[in-house]
Amino acid sequence: MPTSAVVVDSISSVGLNHYLILSAILFSLGVVGVLMRRNIIVILMSIELMLNAVNIAFVAFSRSLQNMDGQAMVFFVMTIAAAEAAVGLALATTIFKKFREVNIRYFEHLKG
Amino acid sequence: MIALKDILVVAPMLVLLVASLIPVMIKVFNSNREPAPFVTIAYSILGLVAAGFLTASMSGVKQTAFSDALVLDGMGVWGTYLVLGSAAFAIMMAYDHVDTYKRLFSEKCFLMMGSVIGTLTLLLSNDLIVTFLGIETMSLCIYILIAMSREEVLSKEASFKYFVLGSFASAIFLYGIAMIYGTVGSTQIPAITAKVGELLTNKNHLFYFGIGMLILGFAFKVSIFPFHFWTPDVYQGSPTPITAFMATAVKTATFIAMLRVFQSTGYQAEPKLMSALSWLAVMTMTVGNTAAILQKNFKRVLAYSSVAHSGYIMIGLIAAAFGDNYDSAAIIVLFYLFSYSIMTLGSFALIGILEKKVGVGLNVDDLKGLAKKHPVLAAALTVILFSLAGVPPTLGFFGKFSLFGVAIEQDLYWLAFWGVLNSVVSVYYYLRPVVVIYMTESDETSDELVATGGLAKATLVFTAALTVIIGLASSPLLEMVRAAVLNRH
Repeated sequence: MPTSAVVVDSISSVGLNHYLILSAILFSLGVVGVLMRRNIIVILMSIELMLNAVNIAFVAFSRSLQNMDGQAMVFFVMTIAAAEAAVGLALATTIFKKFREVNIRYFEHLKG
Repeated sequence: MIALKDILVVAPMLVLLVASLIPVMIKVFNSNREPAPFVTIAYSILGLVAAGFLTASMSGVKQTAFSDALVLDGMGVWGTYLVLGSAAFAIMMAYDHVDTYKRLFSEKCFLMMGSVIGTLTLLLSNDLIVTFLGIETMSLCIYILIAMSREEVLSKEASFKYFVLGSFASAIFLYGIAMIYGTVGSTQIPAITAKVGELLTNKNHLFYFGIGMLILGFAFKVSIFPFHFWTPDVYQGSPTPITAFMATAVKTATFIAMLRVFQSTGYQAEPKLMSALSWLAVMTMTVGNTAAILQKNFKRVLAYSSVAHSGYIMIGLIAAAFGDNYDSAAIIVLFYLFSYSIMTLGSFALIGILEKKVGVGLNVDDLKGLAKKHPVLAAALTVILFSLAGVPPTLGFFGKFSLFGVAIEQDLYWLAFWGVLNSVVSVYYYLRPVVVIYMTESDETSDELVATGGLAKATLVFTAALTVIIGLASSPLLEMVRAAVLNRH
């Protein structure tokens, strides 16, 4: 069983880089999700993941720079993420009404 | 604290908001009955004109608002005029277009004006987070506008494609902002441009990454080469008036925001950035022009043509960022955006006039017989196509001439060469409709080519007249833009 001192020590050594790496991993997962998945709801979730990865980066930078601007930006990003989710889900319902499924495999009409 | 001066700078946006809300409010208080489209469009146009006059009353002096988050300078003022004008013409086209007419017209005008508010925010932003908010406000309204078309399959597909790729690009853009914030310690554009040289010389990897992501996000919005693939699909699937708005106002505002970010000599510290951007510009022009040749659908031809024009404008941007005279290049970019917007509005107006069934596109070959049936429209389209191809003495020629001229001034001979070569290639697909209109025999009995929409016809004829008039007297406009932009300091 680890002593509390060890736990505290390992937590306090978590620095900016750890947060940035976490943010990069989440962002990449989001990118992969948008590019690989066919289900519209999963694509929307992946976009949210990307935006939240950016939030982590903003907050981590804000902490390390001792500058509160980054914290404020997170609120803007969250607002935009909410608006985007609203529009995205509205589109998803329209598409569901038309095709009876939320999948992008029906999107083959626009070709040149 | 918010001072009166801050409110004055955003007054045009507030006026637009009020003007867009009135028709929707009339509808709400009238037991959800749609007000007459004429009333709706009158309020919208009045709002746009009032916003224009308000902006004009504030021009001349550089003003900042909300702790330097917004800046109203000469570039912002002229960009505002251009955006308001484009929006007014797009709304006029929407008034009697088959995809947008009547059903939910007040909501469509509301969203269009909302998009204009986002566009103005983007134009005036002096802080990357405000730029992001502007891009999102502008785009979210457009996603809904596309999906609200009466056409059921193509528009939904176009809207969703645009939505997914647009949100994807803005997330990347935002990640870039985060990286820049981390290295610079601020998201204010002047603070960033002041430190660009230092950070690029020190090979700060995080900053490289950030600026790369930022350019990528912008490149998507203005359809620069590897991120142009959505453009023809979305332009084809959208209602034509909305396409016209996207191709003009959105592109103008994004290019002006790019100009603001590139307003620094610091970028010269990294020659690789310049060669990367130059390659993007060359590829954009080449891909746009070659792909346009292969298209049958007239809207797709114009979509690829707008991709090619983004490539030309990139030449001006590169001259501004990496040359030794930012102002002269920025003025030319603004002038080119004027000429591009006028021509694009006119050409999309013609498509809107001839479309009469939802979901049926207009092919270039469908234009045959236009000269006999509608000689005025045919002549107006011909003028606009000549202008797009850059034939003197039209506006398009002077736009391209000054753009390539400024590239040569900054020793970008290679880019100017590619630009001229591409303009020559583009003549083929711009003149093909003209050949179809005037030199192809059509059977008299066909009842194709019914022209509808008085306001859209007025738009087409007016823009065609503008391309000739401003083309013949381009120096006064250029001088006005120059005076306004140089007044920035």
